[in-house]
Amino acid sequence: MIEFQNVTYNHQKDVGVNNLSFTIPENDFAFLIGPTGSGKTTLMRLIYFDLLPQSGFVKTGNFSSHKLKKRKIPFARREIGMVFQNYQLLEDRNVYNNIALPLHVLGYPTKEITERVEECIDLVKLEGKEKLKPSQLSGGEQQRASLARAIVKDPSVLLADEPTGNLDPVSAFELVKLLQEIHETGTTILMASHNYSLIKGRGYRILELQNGHLRGNG
Amino acid sequence: MDQIIFLVSEGFKNVWRHKATSLTAIFTLYVTLIIVGLFMVGGENIHKTIQYVRSKYKVEVFYEQDVSDFQAKAIAEKIKKIRGVRSATVIGKQDAVNIFQDQFGENIFSVLGYNPLPASTVVNFDRNSPKRLKFNAIIQEIESMDGVDVVRHQGILVNKLERYYQKVLKNFPLVSGLIVLITVLVIYNTVKLSVYSRKSLIYSMQLIGATKSFIKMPFVFEGLLMGTISTLLVYPSMLGFIKAGNFIIKSIAHLNMSLSVDPFIWLWLAGLAGIISVLGSYRAISSILK
Repeated sequence: MIEFQNVTYNHQKDVGVNNLSFTIPENDFAFLIGPTGSGKTTLMRLIYFDLLPQSGFVKTGNFSSHKLKKRKIPFARREIGMVFQNYQLLEDRNVYNNIALPLHVLGYPTKEITERVEECIDLVKLEGKEKLKPSQLSGGEQQRASLARAIVKDPSVLLADEPTGNLDPVSAFELVKLLQEIHETGTTILMASHNYSLIKGRGYRILELQNGHLRGNG
Repeated sequence: MDQIIFLVSEGFKNVWRHKATSLTAIFTLYVTLIIVGLFMVGGENIHKTIQYVRSKYKVEVFYEQDVSDFQAKAIAEKIKKIRGVRSATVIGKQDAVNIFQDQFGENIFSVLGYNPLPASTVVNFDRNSPKRLKFNAIIQEIESMDGVDVVRHQGILVNKLERYYQKVLKNFPLVSGLIVLITVLVIYNTVKLSVYSRKSLIYSMQLIGATKSFIKMPFVFEGLLMGTISTLLVYPSMLGFIKAGNFIIKSIAHLNMSLSVDPFIWLWLAGLAGIISVLGSYRAISSILK
């Protein structure tokens, strides 16, 4: 579950978010739309506690921003999977090791790590590419690797910040389809995008941001 | 346990993954350790060198003609008691005749009908004193003794050497402290640059929920490995430099001395490399993770 209660965060120069209140219940799938600079990324960063609200509070899973100590932030992030427009894959290691990294952080035994990573690789259809470095993959494959890394730890919340921004229409469509499959396993998903045509007609809730204000919520 | 193995192996793999920055850090460590190591060897051998030089100081005290061997021995005993004098060996009148015959092949007594050579004493100085040898004062004291005719010495040269020795002794702690400080700063900044070049890795680790200590550990192990590699490279290089130094001293300068290395220096260098690289990594990563 993601909950925003009267949340305001203003950047020094750019627009942030203003007095936002909404809830995304557990196991829900929601889209976040709005033009560039409308505050989508700020909202995402508030959810994974990269930013803390200047007023109000954000609740993600069992962690709430007004009670959260700085040293507990890593533990809060362990319940959240994240996918970014620029993939954020580590260029110095192969696909397998990128996907396995969150499980090493969580202290999983090696045997279980192997099983889970292989499962995720199958799910995102990257079989045979495990040993390749991110730079040897196409944009779509990199984003699927990034998605595998986000879901390998089985998070309760999955955030996707403009995940299709650098992808061609076919890859973008396949990625959204993958997110739908993941959602069906019980994961709460929030996906930010400015590509309305990609998300319309899917029957999921759409939150619309403009200049840091929530314009549409339905 | 799996997590610890992962952290250690990550640290070691990072050296290979980031070859260019690792090589730069290892090379910087290597060069600075060589400078510190050679400076330490130099410092250790300063005293040895002055001991060697002092063993070559020689003062010859010639007595007046009427001073007998017995009186010469009594004066030599007095000379021995002067502070800074190690030994005073008397060469009696008859010994002087024998030496003359050895050197010139003639018995001066048979030529002249009498022995004109005076008794003398060869004075050697204390080699181990860390203080400046007060050579002039010793010479003056010997010259003022009854029965002493002439004192032959290399006063100007000895004074110069002693003055240099004192200067080196006085400035050595300051210079060595400065060198160690520069070394620490150079290594720290090199390690810091190598950590800064991986800011995106650190950010990604934070996003997936890694704690600060989890992020720091591989960097610390990486620093330790780089320190170890540098130290392993420094040892043979240092031995090579010392060997070359000894070759120059013996074969080119023809001096009967050799440079020695205290085993403590090896430990000191290993410790310095380890502590600086680990602390450098830790501090650099901590400053990014603030």
